[in-house]
Amino acid sequence: MKLVRPLLTLFLFASFWFPLQPVHAARPEPNTPIRHFIVLMQENHTFDNYFGTYPGADGIPPDTCMPVDPTDPASECVEPFHIGNLPIEDLDHSVVTFRRQLNGGRMNGFIWALRLRNHDGRIAMGYYDGRDLPYYWNLASEYVLFDRFFSSAHGGSVWNHMYWIAAVPGTEKNSIPAEGFSNDIVTIFDRLNEAGLTWKFYVQNYDPSITYRTRTEVVGPRAAQVVWCPLLAIPRYLDDPELFRHIVPLDEYFTDLQNGTLPNVAYIVPSGASEHPPGSIQAGQRFVRSLIQALMRSPYWWNSAFLVTYDDWGGWYDHVPPPQVDDYGYGFRVPAFLVSPYAKRGFIDSTTYDFTSILKFIEENWDLEPLAERDARATSIRNAFDFTQPPRQPAFIPWDWPPPPPTPEPRRSAVFGLYGFTVALALLVFLIPARRMHFLPRSLSSRRSRPSTPTHRGEGKR
Amino acid sequence: MSDLHPLRGTSVPSQPQSPASRHLGSARLTRRHPTPTSASVFDRYGPSVLFAIALLAGALVRLWQLNRFGVNSDEAVYLGQAAALAHEPILSRLFPLFRAHPLLFPFFVALALPFTGREALDLAGRLLAVGFGLATIAATMAIGRLLFGRWVGATAALFLALMPYHVTVSRQALLDGPMAFWVTLTLLALVRFAATQRTSWLVASAVALGLGVLTKETAVIFFGAIVTTFALHPELSGRPRPLLVALGAFIATVAVHPLATFLAGGSGTERTSQYLVWQLFRRPNHEWWFYAWKIPPALGLAVVALAVLGLILVWKVWSWRETLLVAWIVVPFTFFQVWPTKGFPYLVATTPAIALLAARTLGRLFALGSARSGSVLPTRSNWRRGLALVTVIAVAGSLAVPSIAQLRAATNGTFLAGSGGVPGGREAGEWVRTYTPEGTKLLTIGPSMANIIQFYGHRKAYGLSVSPNPLHRNPTYEPVVNPDLWLRNGEIQYVVWDAYSAARSPFFAEKLLTYARRYHGRVVHTELVQTVDTQGRPTDLPVIVIYEVHP
Repeated sequence: MKLVRPLLTLFLFASFWFPLQPVHAARPEPNTPIRHFIVLMQENHTFDNYFGTYPGADGIPPDTCMPVDPTDPASECVEPFHIGNLPIEDLDHSVVTFRRQLNGGRMNGFIWALRLRNHDGRIAMGYYDGRDLPYYWNLASEYVLFDRFFSSAHGGSVWNHMYWIAAVPGTEKNSIPAEGFSNDIVTIFDRLNEAGLTWKFYVQNYDPSITYRTRTEVVGPRAAQVVWCPLLAIPRYLDDPELFRHIVPLDEYFTDLQNGTLPNVAYIVPSGASEHPPGSIQAGQRFVRSLIQALMRSPYWWNSAFLVTYDDWGGWYDHVPPPQVDDYGYGFRVPAFLVSPYAKRGFIDSTTYDFTSILKFIEENWDLEPLAERDARATSIRNAFDFTQPPRQPAFIPWDWPPPPPTPEPRRSAVFGLYGFTVALALLVFLIPARRMHFLPRSLSSRRSRPSTPTHRGEGKR
Repeated sequence: MSDLHPLRGTSVPSQPQSPASRHLGSARLTRRHPTPTSASVFDRYGPSVLFAIALLAGALVRLWQLNRFGVNSDEAVYLGQAAALAHEPILSRLFPLFRAHPLLFPFFVALALPFTGREALDLAGRLLAVGFGLATIAATMAIGRLLFGRWVGATAALFLALMPYHVTVSRQALLDGPMAFWVTLTLLALVRFAATQRTSWLVASAVALGLGVLTKETAVIFFGAIVTTFALHPELSGRPRPLLVALGAFIATVAVHPLATFLAGGSGTERTSQYLVWQLFRRPNHEWWFYAWKIPPALGLAVVALAVLGLILVWKVWSWRETLLVAWIVVPFTFFQVWPTKGFPYLVATTPAIALLAARTLGRLFALGSARSGSVLPTRSNWRRGLALVTVIAVAGSLAVPSIAQLRAATNGTFLAGSGGVPGGREAGEWVRTYTPEGTKLLTIGPSMANIIQFYGHRKAYGLSVSPNPLHRNPTYEPVVNPDLWLRNGEIQYVVWDAYSAARSPFFAEKLLTYARRYHGRVVHTELVQTVDTQGRPTDLPVIVIYEVHP
C-alpha cells in the first residue's frame, strides 16, 4: 500500500507531461488545411469549347468569326456555334496543328490547320454550354473555375502528362520513347516519398501488364493507359515493387475513401470516360460526379481539394494566345475547376496557371523542393482557396442547367385566411346555441340565443 | 350543456315536448336543481369522478412515451404539409402544400410551428392529436349524458379513453383523430337539436361536420348517417327550412377548401382532383375482411359485445337514439367495406358511438340511466351499485391492458399503416440528415419510408414501388421511371431497405437489394430494434439498412 501514493503521483505526472511533449510525426504537416489533394486529368477540350459562354468568364469574344483560310483575305469565316448533338470527331492536335492554329499569335488558324489535316475544321468553332455540361457549369457556379489555366505544352497528351507529374516534357518528341522515359526524371511522387507522404496513381480499368514495354503488343485503346499514367513508362517505377504498388485500379479510390486510406496526393486518370472526342461528354461528367460525390460522402471531404483539368486542347478553338514560357509551352487554355470545402464560392480565378501550378501547390503545401525550373516558376493555385472561411458543407451538385425555375409558391395567406376565418366562425356558431356569447352586446346575445320555447313559431304546430 | 339531464329532471307536463325530446327520457329544458340525499351522493359525484378518471387515464395512455418512435409515413406527410403551410424553408421543398386531403389539421399544426420549431414538429403534431382525442372523450361524455344520463356518459368516456383503437389513433398526428372529434361534435349538436329543435343546433351540427370534412374529406360519410337517421325518424328533421339552412352552412364550410385551393394557386393544386380519381380506381390495399379482422379487437371485444347486447335488449323500445348511434357506425363501416382503400384508422370516428352503446348497455343492466320515456330510476341497492362499478372497471381493464400492451410492444419488423410510429425511422432519417451531403437522393422500397426519410432526413427520397403508370400510383408521389439509369448516372446515391416495406412488398425489396449489389452497395447505417426470437430470447432485429451506392 505504501507504493500506491508514489505510483499515483507518477501516473498523474505522466498524464500531464506526455501530452505536452511534441509529437514527432513521421509525415510533415501541411501548410494549409488541405491534407488530401486529388487531381483528375480528363482529355482534349479547350476552355472556350466548354466554358466559352459561361457568364463572367473570359469566354468567346462576341465578334468572333474564324476565317476558313487566314492566308486568303476574302475567305469566308465561321462564327462560334453551339454543338449540341452534332457529331464530333477526334481533331488533330499535333504540334504542327498547334502552330498553324496559333498562326504566330494571331489565333486565326483553327479551321485552316485542321483542313490541312483533311478535317472539315468548322467543328473546331463549336462550343458546349450549360445545357450540355450541366454538372460542370453547376460545379463552376458553386466552387472555382479557372479561366486562364493553360496546358503546359503545345503538344498532345504525352508532354502534358509529363509536365503534370514531373514539370518536364520527358522527351523531345510528343511520344513515349521505346526505351521509356529516363529514370533520372524526378517526379512529384519521388518528392512525396522522400517526405514520407502517401500517394497513389489511380487508373480506371487498370491493367498492370500494360506498360511501355508491352504497349505495342496490345491491340486497342487500352495501350493508352501508358500515356495517361506516364509512370508506366518510367522503368524504375515498374521495376521497383515499392513504387509500382502505388499505381492502382480506380476502384481503390472508392475503397480508400471508405476505409480511411486515402493518400495525401491522389492522381486519377480515366479510361473510356475521359471525354476525349468523340467520346461522350455526358459519360465524362457522370464519371467526374461519381468521384466527387464519393469524396463528399467521406470524412475526407473536410480537408481535401479535388481539381479537374484536361490534358490538351484537342484541336478546339480557344481565343486566348498562350504565353510562351519556353520551347514547349504553354499550350492553349484548357478547362479546369476546383472543388473543396475551402474553395471560394462561385469564383472565377483569372490567374495564369498551367499543370505545374498543381505541382507548385503540392510543393508549397508540404514544403517540398521543386522538381524543375517550370514548377519553380509556376504560380500555385492557392488563390482559389479561402482558408479563412470555415469549411463548407458537402453538397451534391445538381444536374440541371439552367436551374429549373422555382415552382410557383402558393399564396399561403389565402389558406391561412380562409381556414382561420372558418374556424372562428364555427366557434361563434357553437357559442350562439350554447348561450356562451357573454362578450357580445346583451341584446344581440339574447336575441340570438333565445331557446326554443313552446311559444316559438312553429313549435306549437307539432 | 347543463340544462338537460335525463335522470334528474322530473317531467314537466305543462310544457309541450318535441317529438324527439319525448324519447330523451325525462330530459327537459329545465335547470338542474339537485337535492342531495345520502342515496344520491353516489349519483351526484360518481359520474364526475368517473369522467375525471377517464380524462386522466385517457391523457396518461395517450401521452405516455408519445414521441418514443418517430412518425409514420402519413404523419410525415401531414406534418410536412403543415411545414409547407408555415413556409418552413427545408420541409416545404420536400412536401407540397396541396396533396390529397384538406388542410384543417395542418393549419392548426402550422399555427404551432413558430413556437415549436422544426425539430419538435412531430411532438407538436402528436400533442395536438392527443388534444383532439381528449376533446372527443369529453364530447362523448356530453352526448352520453344527454342521451342516457351522466353515468352512461362518464362510462362511455372511460371506455373511449382506454379503447386501444382510439388510443392508438389519437396518439398519432393523423387526420382521423381530429376528424373523429369534429364528427363527435356533430353528433353532440345533432342530439342537442333533437332535444331542443333549435335550428342553431342543427346549423352548429352542419358546421361541425363541415370542419370534419375540412379535416378529412371522408367525414362526409357521416352526412349519410344523418340522412339515414332523419329518413327513419322524420319527427327529428322537422321543417325543411332549418334543414336547408343547415345544408347551406355545411356546403359553405366545406367550400372553404376548394376556394382556398383556387385562391392559393401555385403548384400541386391539381393533385387533389387527381387523387380522387386515383382513389376511385386504385386496387384494394387489403383483403375484404380487413375491418372485421382488425377492428373488433382494437375496439375491445367486451365493448363490442356489450354494444350488440344492448341493442338486443332495447329492441322493443328502439328509438331515434339507437338509430342515430347505429347509423353512426354502420354507414361508415359499409362505405369503407365497399371502398377499395382500407386503412386502419379510417373507422375511428365511429368509436364514440360504440362506446356509448356499450356504456348504455351497462347503464340499462344496472339501472345507471333511463332507457325510455318517463322512466323513473329504481332504487338501487348497494350490491347493484357495486356490481355496476366492478363491471365498468372490468371492461375498462379489458381495454386498458391491450392499450398499454401495444404501447410497450416490441416490433417484429412488420408495420400496419396508421397503427403507430415507426421504430428506427426517426433515427435513420437523422443519420441521413447528419451524414449525407445536401442534395443527396435516396431510393427506398416504397413511398412510406421515403416520406419518413424526407421528414427527418431533409433529403429527397423516391419509392421504388411507385408505379410509373399514373393510373396506378398516388398522384402525389414521383416515380423513378428508370432506377437502373438513375443509379448508373449517380443521380441516386443511397438505397434504403426497411423491414416494414419489405414485408409488404417482397418483390420490390428484392429488386432494391439487387440494385444495392449491382452498384457496389456498402452498408453505412443500420437501425436495430430489440425484439424476441421464436424461442422468446431477446434479439436485435435490423429494421432499416442504408446502403451507399456508386456506379
